Amino acid sequence: MAEQSVIRGAWWWRTARLMMVPLWATWQLLISVRWAIGLIAFLALAGLLGVIVPQVPANVRGDALAEVQWLAVQEGRFGFLTDPMNRLGFFEVFHARWFIYALGLLAVSLAVWVVSYFPSIWRAITRPRKRVNDAYFASARHRFDYATPAAGSGLESVLRRQRYTVERYQEGDTTYLFADRFQFAQLATFATHVAVVVLLAGGLVSWFSGFSNGMMIAEGSTGPVFPLTHPNQMQVELVDAVGLFSPEGRALDYRSDLVIYQGGEEVKRCTTTVNSPCSYKGYRFHQAAYFGNGADVQVRDLASGNVIYRETITLSSTLPSPRVVVRDGDGTVLLDEALVLTDILSTDEFVYYGTLVTLPDDRVISIGARRAAEDERWQLAVFEPGEGEEAVRLVLSEGESASAGGLEFVYSGLQSVPAVFVSDLPLPPGLPAGAGSGQVLVEMSNVVYGTGTASEGTAVAPAVGSGPPELTIIGLQPQAVSLRPGESVEIGGYEYSFLGQREFAGIQVKKDRSDYLIWVGTALLITGLVVTFWVPRRRLWARITPTRTYLAGQAGHLIRLDREMEDLARQEGATLDEAEGQGKDD
Amino acid sequence: MAEDAQASGPVEEVDEAPQGSHVWRGPWRSVIFPLLVVSAIAAVIWWIDYRPDSGSSSVYDAKYGPVEMPAGLAPPGMAVEAKEGSLAPDFLLKTLDDSEIRLSDLRGKGVIVNLWATWCGPCRKEMPQFVAAYDRYREQGLEIIAMNLQESQSIIQPFVDDFGMDFPVALDKRGAVSDEYRIIGLPMTYFIDREGVIRNVFRGPFLERLEGTQVQGAIEGDELTRRIEEILE
Repeated sequence: MAEQSVIRGAWWWRTARLMMVPLWATWQLLISVRWAIGLIAFLALAGLLGVIVPQVPANVRGDALAEVQWLAVQEGRFGFLTDPMNRLGFFEVFHARWFIYALGLLAVSLAVWVVSYFPSIWRAITRPRKRVNDAYFASARHRFDYATPAAGSGLESVLRRQRYTVERYQEGDTTYLFADRFQFAQLATFATHVAVVVLLAGGLVSWFSGFSNGMMIAEGSTGPVFPLTHPNQMQVELVDAVGLFSPEGRALDYRSDLVIYQGGEEVKRCTTTVNSPCSYKGYRFHQAAYFGNGADVQVRDLASGNVIYRETITLSSTLPSPRVVVRDGDGTVLLDEALVLTDILSTDEFVYYGTLVTLPDDRVISIGARRAAEDERWQLAVFEPGEGEEAVRLVLSEGESASAGGLEFVYSGLQSVPAVFVSDLPLPPGLPAGAGSGQVLVEMSNVVYGTGTASEGTAVAPAVGSGPPELTIIGLQPQAVSLRPGESVEIGGYEYSFLGQREFAGIQVKKDRSDYLIWVGTALLITGLVVTFWVPRRRLWARITPTRTYLAGQAGHLIRLDREMEDLARQEGATLDEAEGQGKDD
Repeated sequence: MAEDAQASGPVEEVDEAPQGSHVWRGPWRSVIFPLLVVSAIAAVIWWIDYRPDSGSSSVYDAKYGPVEMPAGLAPPGMAVEAKEGSLAPDFLLKTLDDSEIRLSDLRGKGVIVNLWATWCGPCRKEMPQFVAAYDRYREQGLEIIAMNLQESQSIIQPFVDDFGMDFPVALDKRGAVSDEYRIIGLPMTYFIDREGVIRNVFRGPFLERLEGTQVQGAIEGDELTRRIEEILE
C-alpha cells in the first residue's frame, strides 16, 4: 500500500510538473525583454509598412464594391502581388487582425511583467535590506570612504538634512546607518510599464468598441444615431444651424442647436460647435460639417388638403448667374441684378442658358450665359426677340460692356446660384403629357451665405442679390415659378410652397470610452518619467568606525552617487585630500 | 579600509535592481495570477463598455411590445413568425393618440403594417399612397398601422397632421416589435390578410416602382393596390 501510494504521488507530481512546463515557458516568454523588443520591432516594421504601402481610404473600407475598385487601381502599381498583399492585410495594416493581435500580445506581455515584478519591487520599497555585511563596503558598485572627523561623525544629521530616512545600529564602537531617500520612486518603473499597458488597452478598447456615426441633418429634421431597433436608440434634431463667414466669405465658425431624444423623450437640448461638442451619456455630438443651401419645399394636394411632399431639397450643384447692368441712353439704370437663368435657349449659332428680362418700358430681352467649352469662361449672351435692325445681339466677356439698340449692357461679373434637378417632386396632375421630363430644376438665389463649397472651407461668394432667398422652380409649368419664403403657388390642383432656406449640419456622434484610459495612461507615463529622471531612489549604507567612515550605496544609472557621497563627507566636515575620497564607480 | 571591510565575512549580494530579480514562483503566482489580473482588467473594460444604458429602459413601458397571440387565434400547426405564409406575430403598442393597439384585435380585417420614421425619406414619400389607399379601402375592411420606429411623439405629430394620416400610428419605442418583424431597413410593409396570415412583405418604398409617375393615380393598378386587394379577398 505504502509503495502504491508513493507511486501515485509521483505520478501526480510528474503530471503537475508536466502541466507546469507550458505555463513556465509562457511565463518566461511573456517576461522576456527580447520577446518585448521583438514585438515592438515587429509593430514598428508594420507601422512602416502601413506608411509606405497605400492604405484603403476610410470612406472605401467596408464597401465591398468600392474596395474591389480601389484594389483594381492598386493592381497597376503592385501587379500580381496585389492579391497576396491584400490577403495579408498589407493594405489595411492598422486594421489587420495580426496587427491588433500583436498589440494585444504586447499589452499582455507588459501586464504580466508588471504583475510578476510588482511583489519584488514593493518588497524592496517597504522592506529594504537595512544591514549589509562589512565585505559589501569593499565591493559595492558605489562606495566611498574617508577618515571620520575628529569631532565625531555627523553623517546621520547630514543625511537627515538631505531628506534621507535614517536608521541607526550600534555594534561596539562601530555605528551602522541605513539611509533611504525617495524609496517610492522605485515605483516609477512600474508606473511607466503600467502606462504602456493602459495606453495599449485604450487603443484596443477604442478599436473594438469605439462608436462613430456621421449624419447630415437639415434644420427641422431628425436623424437616428444608431442602426435600426438599437435598444438605446437616440434621435438628433437640428433646430438651428449657423455658419459664420467673414466678409470675404471665409468660414469662421459653425454652430448647431440640437435636441437629443431617447426612448421617445427629449433628453438634452444643447449647442455644439466645432471645438465644443455637445455630450450626452458619454456620446459626443461634434459639429463636423456645414452646408447652407437647402430649400424646404412642400406640396399639398388641394383636393384632400393633405401634404403629399415635404422635403428639404439639397441644392448640391450650381448654375451660372451673370450680374448684369442695363442702362438707357440717359444713363438711367434699368436693371442691375444677378440673373437666375431659367431656360435653355438657342440662336442660329449656339445654345445658352438664359432668361427673359422685361425692362421698365416693357421691352423684353433675353439674357443668358454661354461657353464654348467646359474649360472656357462664361460669356454673356444678350438677344432681343425680333428681326429689327435695332434688335440687340451681343456676346460679352466678363467685365466688358457694349451698347446696342439704345441700351448699354455691362457684364459686371459671374456668380453662381445653388441648383439641383429633382426627380421626385410631384408634378401637377394637369400637366400635359410629355410636357416635362419628370424632373424639375430648382435654383435658389439670394442665399444668405454663399455656395455649396462653403463647408469645404473654400471661399464663398457673397449673396448674389439683396433681399430674402428666392426659389425658382422650372418644369412645373411652361414658365418658371419663383417663390420667396412662405409663398405658395397653385398649379393644377397642387399647392407648391417654399417654406424657406434651410441649412444642414454634419453631426458626428462619437463614443470612445478609451478616453479615460488614454488620460490615465498619459498621466502614469509622465509621472513615471518625471520621477525616474528627477527624483530617483537612493539607498546608502554607512559603517562608521572611530577612525574611518565607509559608505556604500545604490541608485539609478542617472545618479552620480559617488560624487553625492563625497559631498556628504564634506558636509559632515571630513577633510578629504588626494589620498582620501576613495570613491569608486565600478 | 579593505582589511576592515573584508574581515567581517564574504561579499554578499544586495538586490541592486529588484525589478531585475525574478524567480519562478510556480504556475499560480507567475502565470495564472497575472493572467487573471489581465483578464480582470479586460472584464472591467468590457463591462464599462457594454453595461446596460442605465435609465434608458425606465422610459419604456414594459407591457408594450411583442405579445403572445390569444389562444384560439392561432390554428394548430400554423407557424407564428414574420414571414410570408405564417401568422403575423402579435403585438401591443401605444398609439400616438395615447390609446393602444393590438394586432390580434384586428383579426377579420386586412391589415397593412408599415414600418416608418419621419427621418426616412422614402417613408415620407410613400406615405401619401397609404393615406390615399386608406381613404379608398377602409370601408372594405382595410386597417393600416403606421408603426413608427423609436421617435418622439413631438416629432411624429406634426408629420401625421400634415400628411393627413387618419390610421393608427403605433409607437415602437423599444424597437422590439420591429425586431420581431425582422426589419432590415425602412420602409418595410407587411400585408396581413383577414385570417392574420402574412400574405406579402414589401421592402423599400412603393414609389421606387413608380418612378416618374405622379402620386395621384399611382394607386391605380400598382403593386400596392394589388397587395391590398389580396388581403381583402
